[in-house]
Amino acid sequence: MRILVIEDDTEAAAFISKGLREAGHVVDHAIDGEAGLKMAGACDYDAYVVDRMLPKLDGVSVLSRRRAEGDETPALFLSALGEVDDRVAGLKAGGDDYLVKPYAFSELLARVEALGRRRAPAQVTTRYQVGDLEIDVITRTVRRAGRKIDLQPREFRLLEYLMRHAGQVVTRTMLLENVWEYHFDPQTNVIDVHISRLRSKIDKDFDRPLLKTVRGAGYTIEDAA
Amino acid sequence: MFRLLRTATFKITLIYVVVFSGAVAALGLFIYQQTFGASARQTDQIINSEIETLAGVFAAEGPGTLRRIVRERAAWRDDGIYMLIGAPSGAVLAGNLTALPAEALTAGQGYFNFTYERPLIDAAGRESGIDIRQGRGKIRRFRAAPDAETFFLVFVARDISNFERLRDRTRRQIVQLGLATILLGLLIGLAFSQSIMLQVDAVNKTARAIRAGDLSRRIPLTGAGDELENLALNLNGMLDQIERLMNGMREVSDNIAHDLRSPLTRVRNRLTDALKADPAEKDAALRATLEDAERMIGTFNALLSIARIESGEGAGAMEAVDVVAIAEELAELYEPAAQEAGFGLALKAHPAPPVRGSRALISQAIANLLDNALKYAAGGDRIEILVGRTPKNAVRLSVADNGPGVPANDREHIFKRFVRLESSRTTTGSGLGLSLVSAVARAHGAVLAVSDGLQKGDRRGLCVSLTFPAFERR
Repeated sequence: MRILVIEDDTEAAAFISKGLREAGHVVDHAIDGEAGLKMAGACDYDAYVVDRMLPKLDGVSVLSRRRAEGDETPALFLSALGEVDDRVAGLKAGGDDYLVKPYAFSELLARVEALGRRRAPAQVTTRYQVGDLEIDVITRTVRRAGRKIDLQPREFRLLEYLMRHAGQVVTRTMLLENVWEYHFDPQTNVIDVHISRLRSKIDKDFDRPLLKTVRGAGYTIEDAA
Repeated sequence: MFRLLRTATFKITLIYVVVFSGAVAALGLFIYQQTFGASARQTDQIINSEIETLAGVFAAEGPGTLRRIVRERAAWRDDGIYMLIGAPSGAVLAGNLTALPAEALTAGQGYFNFTYERPLIDAAGRESGIDIRQGRGKIRRFRAAPDAETFFLVFVARDISNFERLRDRTRRQIVQLGLATILLGLLIGLAFSQSIMLQVDAVNKTARAIRAGDLSRRIPLTGAGDELENLALNLNGMLDQIERLMNGMREVSDNIAHDLRSPLTRVRNRLTDALKADPAEKDAALRATLEDAERMIGTFNALLSIARIESGEGAGAMEAVDVVAIAEELAELYEPAAQEAGFGLALKAHPAPPVRGSRALISQAIANLLDNALKYAAGGDRIEILVGRTPKNAVRLSVADNGPGVPANDREHIFKRFVRLESSRTTTGSGLGLSLVSAVARAHGAVLAVSDGLQKGDRRGLCVSLTFPAFERR
């Protein structure tokens, strides 16, 4: 992916750029809002990472101007303002996701990659398949190797989210936000236990595990051949 | 003094004084006109009718009878003044004045006022001086025939000294009354302005003291129960809130200093050591440092959340929320984790009315209570979330466990920031979980209470409950 990072803190920008490049992405960096706006207009990016507070032109304005020009590139806001109201303001301005500083890089990477995927051809998919595991969103059925698996509604939503981001790392916070719609971090391992329950249903009786734990980051579902 | 004249109250009083004095003047003028105008007209009528009577006598019975009657009337000791003068000779034929007053020469046919002298008679009947008096009268010519050479001048007048004196006095009184009204109005206005200025000064003095940094100052109350005191009460309430927020901020920064300084020091020391250490030890030090950093970030975020909830910011819009539904979602989220930790998690919910609140905050509070139960209810095996309606239509939400519980004398401390009871020093945690619950309770006007939870053997368990006030539609 080609990613534009608009961030005035050079050290933070260097850290993000280095990490994203190591993950195989092409990264450009803009030092302030105006530069960011120019670069975004000059080149076709797959995703923007925008700090909310920028010199010259703040992040929200940069993005709303791009959106006004019909630029649909997915954007992730970085912000030191973390409460729900700030999040809502960022998303209203056209942001697709919102990450509060300080964050773990793995969280940023997972979210940026999830955004890039969103840009893929917007055909409405109702069936997802990973290896021999397939789910149908309409009929709410799950099959593995042709065998029907019964899931609770929440387990189904959890699996659906993982399947939609198959091959990508999904963090615990992303799961809590998207599957349960909570914006806080539980002190206990609530998500892990839900994952292990799901795993016992979809992976336990099969040779090849599909749902994997990515140490220090989160989970991913993939058919690693 | 000049400040006093510039006050709004004084300006208003001034307007009132002008309006009121105007009203008093109009009233005085009205009474004056009514009283003296009528009286003066009456005098003229009397004079006129006397002249007509005398004219009738002259026409019917001639100058002899006229002279007799004038003489009779002049002898009456009343206010009447009569003179009968022969013309053109000018001889005074009858009357109680020795000569026509000087004003008569210029008066012509109409009424005229004049002054005359009358001897003052003392009790013994002797003349004791001269009284200068005022009169009003009229002169008419009586002719026997239109072309007669001789004719009579009849002068009829009334003494109006008493009337004039009364009128002067009344006029003076009305003017005095007007001046007194204006003076009194101004004095009352000044007194009002003074009293209000003193109260406003008290407010200003307090405001200046607070701006200068003394947040504990309050506006002194007069006890009058009036609108100014009401204003002072409201301002004091506002100041209380500001002081509370300021103290909250101070507490937060103290706490940040307290809780972040030690790990920061630890990190610095570890890194200093690591610089001199061999690669394997360096790796271990870095990993430990990373863990410390994660923990500090967690603490920092928790502190910020609490501060934001307490300042009423970030609570999102408060709306009607269903606590039962929120509790169900949380129970569902935590059930697997509880089971894994060896607890049975049960939701016992009775239908409850909606409360005014924020789903996000209430969820977080329940999550923190469940986290706490999982961490600290060691040896227990049951956690219950209870939701129900109280007799007063409030909604009570509790999380109870059958762990070791909290000794009664520690209970009031557990909601303070960073408090971790001695028995729990070994478990990880920021010590902020219950502070956040407490902040959420305050943001919702909910009552937070701690009591014994579920019994298990000799364990008393712990129950933390939030009682949300009955929902009021706004």
